[in-house]
Amino acid sequence: MNLAQIDRRWIFVIVFLAVALPLLFPIGLVGEVSPRTQTMHDLIEALPRGATVIISFDCEAASWPEIGPVAEALVEHTMQRGIRIIGTSFLSEGTALGFELLSRHADAADYVQGRDWVYLGFRPQYVAAILGLGESITQEYPRDYINQPSEDHTLLGAVRSYRDVALVISIADDTMPQYWIEYAGARYGVKIAAGLSAVMVTTFTPYLDSGQLQALIGGLKGAAEYERLLGREGAGSRGMDAQSSAHLAIIVLVIIGNVAYFRGRGRS
Amino acid sequence: MVGVFGFAMLIQYFVPHPLGRVLYGRVLEWMQVIFAAGLVLGGATYAMSHLRTVSGRREGWIYSLLALAALTLMLAAGLIGGIDRGTLFLWLFNNLQAPLQQTVFSLLAFFVASAAYRGFRARNIDAALLLIVALVVMLGRIPIGEMTGPFLPDLARWLVDVPAVAAKRGILIGIGLGSVAVALRVMLGIERAWLGGRR
Repeated sequence: MNLAQIDRRWIFVIVFLAVALPLLFPIGLVGEVSPRTQTMHDLIEALPRGATVIISFDCEAASWPEIGPVAEALVEHTMQRGIRIIGTSFLSEGTALGFELLSRHADAADYVQGRDWVYLGFRPQYVAAILGLGESITQEYPRDYINQPSEDHTLLGAVRSYRDVALVISIADDTMPQYWIEYAGARYGVKIAAGLSAVMVTTFTPYLDSGQLQALIGGLKGAAEYERLLGREGAGSRGMDAQSSAHLAIIVLVIIGNVAYFRGRGRS
Repeated sequence: MVGVFGFAMLIQYFVPHPLGRVLYGRVLEWMQVIFAAGLVLGGATYAMSHLRTVSGRREGWIYSLLALAALTLMLAAGLIGGIDRGTLFLWLFNNLQAPLQQTVFSLLAFFVASAAYRGFRARNIDAALLLIVALVVMLGRIPIGEMTGPFLPDLARWLVDVPAVAAKRGILIGIGLGSVAVALRVMLGIERAWLGGRR
């Protein structure tokens, strides 16, 4: 059997099994809580009850299986702490996902819409929107996601702009937190944190080191660690089993591929 | 015009005069109006393009018909029924659009694995180094790697946080300086290629 010329459908079968089996038969791999995840947890833990955070769902539906558990954990913790939430989104797909998630958690936490949380929804041209929120939230969003006048919400009567916001959390699978840092953080001085897909962590680590980003958690691993800090198992913890076995499968495949390559080269 | 607006926005950032605040607010509104108009234009162009494909029975016209039907359905669902919880729009989004996109995206794992098996070879020193780093990071970032002791996770963290971030930081600084240079060239009228004209 020539391993170098193996039918790629066998590789697909191996990857499928590596992902599917741990989801069907969980092992419970989470790992240690990293200092980064702990910092994010401590940041939210340190916010006073009744403070307001903006959570922006700046992600696409395609990456939701990875970024969704991050968002779930952060929203759950924020609501556990009695912190009020203003939801936004600058990507159209993240808008519906964010609304669904916030609504579900608000029901569970007995959060009253308009008083404890508001979902403002989508705005085109995110640079202008991020800057606009620093001038006046109700002027930037005269109506919320479900078309209610923003002025009618008691929360937005008290929270007029970034001056009244303790933290902005951007849930992102791309570079959107950079715009929050450059326009909301640099110009208005509001604190920024990010929940990212794993691939974006390296991009934002320089901002974390410079203090422009207060905290970040990344990918399923970050979500799993955060769930551990919250004392529950969720989609992040379950996903870590599948991610671990998929990584292992790819490592084994790469090693086999190299063995086959060197054997073939030796013969020739 | 670009120069005037560019410098006006630059000056208002440092001068907190009420006139500057008014100008600033207006420009922010215009930016969003222009962008929203662009979205409408993009949607219309998309529909026209597919309409032409369907009416001319060109290759793949059935997919264009499907695209138009999906566009009409989502627009109608959102405009008539609203986008709140329990609406058809949100149901379609959560149960059709999102799973479809996630399915397509998840195919990447299969192709990455296949490509890694066939192409990730230690053909020379550089490739071998890349291969070893990739294996260490992949293993060190999962709980199984952590079970082997602190060395592998610490090494993986160091590789990601130090050499990779150093390269990223250099790129970011380069992008920042480049953006300032290009902005100044555009505002001063030295750079006109973005208008489609000659430099």
